[in-house]
Amino acid sequence: MRYDKSSDPDSLSGDRPYDNQGTSSNLEGKNELPDRRTFLAGVASVLGMLAVSSCSWQEFVQNNFQRMTKEEIDQTVERLKKEYREKYGKDFVVGTEGPIDNSLFGYALDIQRCIGCRRCVYACVEENNQSRDPQIQYIRVLQFKDGDMDFEHSTIYYDPQEVPQDGYYYMPVQCQHCANPPCTKVCPVRATWTEPDGIVVVDYNWCIGCRYCMAACPYMGRWFNFAEPVIPADKINPVTHYLGNRPRMKNVVEKCTFCIQRVRVGKYPACVEVCPVGARKFGNLLDPDSEISKIIRNKRVFRLKSELNTQPKFYYFFAT
Amino acid sequence: MKPKIFIPLVTALVIGIVGACIETGPGLAIAQIQEDAEALKAIQAPTSDQEFPVPLRPLPQTITPCRACHGPEKDFPVNFKRREDLLVHNNIRLNHGGIRLWCLDCHHPDNRNYLLPLSDGKNIEFEQSYLLCGKCHGTIYRDWRDGIHGKRTGSWNGTKNYYLCITCHDPHNPKFKPMAPMPPPKKPWTPIEVQAKH
Repeated sequence: MRYDKSSDPDSLSGDRPYDNQGTSSNLEGKNELPDRRTFLAGVASVLGMLAVSSCSWQEFVQNNFQRMTKEEIDQTVERLKKEYREKYGKDFVVGTEGPIDNSLFGYALDIQRCIGCRRCVYACVEENNQSRDPQIQYIRVLQFKDGDMDFEHSTIYYDPQEVPQDGYYYMPVQCQHCANPPCTKVCPVRATWTEPDGIVVVDYNWCIGCRYCMAACPYMGRWFNFAEPVIPADKINPVTHYLGNRPRMKNVVEKCTFCIQRVRVGKYPACVEVCPVGARKFGNLLDPDSEISKIIRNKRVFRLKSELNTQPKFYYFFAT
Repeated sequence: MKPKIFIPLVTALVIGIVGACIETGPGLAIAQIQEDAEALKAIQAPTSDQEFPVPLRPLPQTITPCRACHGPEKDFPVNFKRREDLLVHNNIRLNHGGIRLWCLDCHHPDNRNYLLPLSDGKNIEFEQSYLLCGKCHGTIYRDWRDGIHGKRTGSWNGTKNYYLCITCHDPHNPKFKPMAPMPPPKKPWTPIEVQAKH
């Protein structure tokens, strides 16, 4: 191997004009006040970090959403609204509605009815301000051959003239909102958690983008913004929620939130409203008269990968 | 307050009866008049006797009133024979239940403004056609009432918009039509030699 002087650790430390010893003795001598050089270096590094991360200092010191006080939340919302108005030229609503009392959300999908038309995929993209390029879609519609339930044999890239195709069935998969979610357990900074109404959410400002949660999720229910999300300004949905569909930034993880901005004000999620065959059902698991409760009581249901004990609140059912 | 409400009700009833007489001619039986009057009352209070609030979907005005052509003394007498040529109604291609079903298995033979009654003997309004659908498709009807079959929009904990059977299924041709799917997701970048294999 060729010898490279610059990469030799010994020669480096030897050549360095200001070694650690000298600096520390300097500090001690001046009674813990940094000298001008150290002070300037510190200021420069803080300014540099702010410049590189391209975020305001308020964002830089912002707390986790769960630990914020009422005033801090209000200030943050005001700041975000201002940011979004500058970026998209629209007045945004950034909701922070809490869970509705006595609600635990569940979802059911009739895989006998689903025809695989992907209307839900695109309704979700428009409602939840997902990046168009690079493309992020919370719902994957898997196409299986009849009689086969092996995920390895399924495809999401089917594109015939018309659906449903004979001999195939379709299974849309999105975040299953597990009651025992592996994704929230692995988060090293607690940027993702389960809300009291059962929705698994992400605080995008607290997320460090390590993607542990994506590795932990057995349903591929989480998506990472590898690049700055691109959404046309005329396609942006300005009715948002802090924990839901507000515009995301680069290097954060995002996911389906059952349209938290809709369900927290009593509306159905966008995918339920758009499904042309009525295969998607949503409701309150704690209400014995809700659609979802009746489905679980009366129909044959199953949950994906139930052997993993993730306990999804997303049920697949057979209506007949 | 009471008379104020009562007067328009009576007026509407009288107008309705008179209108029915003019439309159907003097040869109409008295029983028929009473039936029409009762029906009018029912229309005035459409949601009172319903199990749950559903949108009312009356027949399109272009082909009503049916009595203009169909009736005991009109040009088109009741014909129970199954045939392919439906004359005026040639826009309808009946494709429901194969050869086992015919127009008059749902439509009332003597009064085309109604559908056939259930066992209670009361003719079914077109607006409540789901009751008639439930006559054959009982299990589906039960699921629909529970919100399992069919689609609802609106609010999961409040007012819902019900989609009726006929909102999605054409009663004359109820099977769902295939539709074009939305575009598939973009494939992640892969080397060309790998793309060729898949």
